[in-house]
Amino acid sequence: MTTWAKPRTKKENRIRVKRGPLEKKEARAGLLFVLPWLIGAAVFLAYPLGMSLWYSLNNIRLTSEGMKFTFLAQGNFTQILLSDPDFLPELVDYLLSTVISVPVIVVFAMMIALMLNEKIRGKGFFRLVFFLPVIIVSGPILASLTEQNASTISVIDSQAVTAAISAFLPSIIAAPISELFSNMVTILWYSGVPILIFLSALQKIDRSQYEAAYVDGASGWEMFWKITLPSLKPMILLNCVYTIVFVSSNDQNKLIGLIKSAMFSGTSEKGYGYASAMAWIYSLVVLLLVGLFALIFTARKDRYEREAKKLDRRAKAERRQVLKIQRRQARHAKKYHHAPVR
Amino acid sequence: MAYRGRHINPQRFERGQIKILLILLPLALFMALPIVFIINHAFKPMEELFAFPPTFFVRNPTLDNFTKLLKFSRSAGIPLTRYLFNSLLVTVLTVGLSLFTTTCAAFAFSKIKFRGRSMMLQINQIAIMFVATAVLIPRYLVISGLGLIDTILAHVLPLAAMPVALFLVKQFVDQVPDSLIEAAHLDGASDFQVYWRIILPVIKPAIATAMVLVFQQVWTNLETSSYFTNDESMKTLTFYMNTLVNSSNGVAGQGVAAAASLIMFIPNLILFIICQNAVMNTMATSGIK
Repeated sequence: MTTWAKPRTKKENRIRVKRGPLEKKEARAGLLFVLPWLIGAAVFLAYPLGMSLWYSLNNIRLTSEGMKFTFLAQGNFTQILLSDPDFLPELVDYLLSTVISVPVIVVFAMMIALMLNEKIRGKGFFRLVFFLPVIIVSGPILASLTEQNASTISVIDSQAVTAAISAFLPSIIAAPISELFSNMVTILWYSGVPILIFLSALQKIDRSQYEAAYVDGASGWEMFWKITLPSLKPMILLNCVYTIVFVSSNDQNKLIGLIKSAMFSGTSEKGYGYASAMAWIYSLVVLLLVGLFALIFTARKDRYEREAKKLDRRAKAERRQVLKIQRRQARHAKKYHHAPVR
Repeated sequence: MAYRGRHINPQRFERGQIKILLILLPLALFMALPIVFIINHAFKPMEELFAFPPTFFVRNPTLDNFTKLLKFSRSAGIPLTRYLFNSLLVTVLTVGLSLFTTTCAAFAFSKIKFRGRSMMLQINQIAIMFVATAVLIPRYLVISGLGLIDTILAHVLPLAAMPVALFLVKQFVDQVPDSLIEAAHLDGASDFQVYWRIILPVIKPAIATAMVLVFQQVWTNLETSSYFTNDESMKTLTFYMNTLVNSSNGVAGQGVAAAASLIMFIPNLILFIICQNAVMNTMATSGIK
């Protein structure tokens, strides 16, 4: 109960600060606020998550007496990774297409949000049009739309594009890119929520910043790079994460279909444990992907803080140097029976 | 970059808008495709639904599909209004509850220090990534263990703590300056007052966004109806509509399904129209100089 739960630095490790009554009170208030969420999350998120981890280590058979567990340890995982014909190729496909399409979606969303934030006529209408597809993408309607070829831009004939791309790039990279082009509209339909998030972030940028920059003679281009983009940065990460999650947990996703079919398949080696293991592998991959984007976009410390830290470090080094000299002087004084020189 | 006014739409058309409109209009056309398709599809008569090559726009609009849908539901044992009532109740309860829990938790996670908060956040992050299908059976066990099968709560509780919403709202609360909260504390506000009087108004756009998200998830959720309820009269409209779409593969079913998907789509439209004003008109309140 003496230190924070956050990762400690060396200094905090040495000096243990006991928490005062004020901090205890604050902690209590914090827990109180989290409590409703905590209960819900513990019962319906954490517990099921833990259970599914346990399931993934077992072979589960549904019998008339209930679920029958046979402990397999890593058996499910090795089976999926080594002998499942569909899972691994699908996973690689998914990874490539997501890595390519997420930046496209986010950049597109940002562009649209920037334009929608300008002064234009019929803004409300545009906003509606750009947001609404999200609702449909998550429903069964998308399937029937793709059936009717509405999800490809016929103007950009994907054949020509595909040919051009595969002439320049190795096929493993060319395939997802051409897929990107042939699914362009579908991808754009995913951008509704990111647009909304960007817009609400844009609304919060202080107008006077722009005015100040304008007075200083900044062009619109400079203002975008120096004001708009830095203020949007946390939202870029948020949108990347959101888009990845949305794409990954969509019903259209083939991997989800695989997991579902494994879950309800009657064969003895598949079943619920196998499906759980699949889901865990899949989630880990998604987590890695998110981690990758987070690495790129997490807010670095700003320049001022960096400089301050640097100065701090230098001052500390100097102080150490002074101490060292003083110690040496003291030692010398003892050795040669001189009075220490001050 | 002068004063932009409070209105969303400028009153007059200006020449500066042309370049933006030139980009936006064609894109808007693509984005509008599915909406146009749904609306058109619902009004198509039988022969157009099965026309080959399929048509995008309706030529002879009829209301046949809707009357058929009504007839269909009348012949079923449970009236359509019962499903509608279930859906509305579930949606209102879930959206309210989950917004309350997420904003509370986001405030605490972002602005109050206490033990274990980073760990809880990490659990939340993992939960975001996790495939919902995979936790289905443990969830079922929890719900049946609590004796909630065939109650309204079976629909509400599983979605009350939505990790994506928490993540979103927390990101916005992070942006609220600490000095605003400190000022309130100095003026003698309690933590709850800070939450109610300062955090909530300032993050209104985030709440509106989260509300749209949660609503969409709840409204289109099939899971709770198909797995957590056995009693036909406790299922939601979405479930019913989905059975129409799936079960009636016959020729007659296609039209009913088209009408059903339009009906499912309308509430989303209305909610978004209401919410988008909340998303947009809050710029004045969030600033601190």
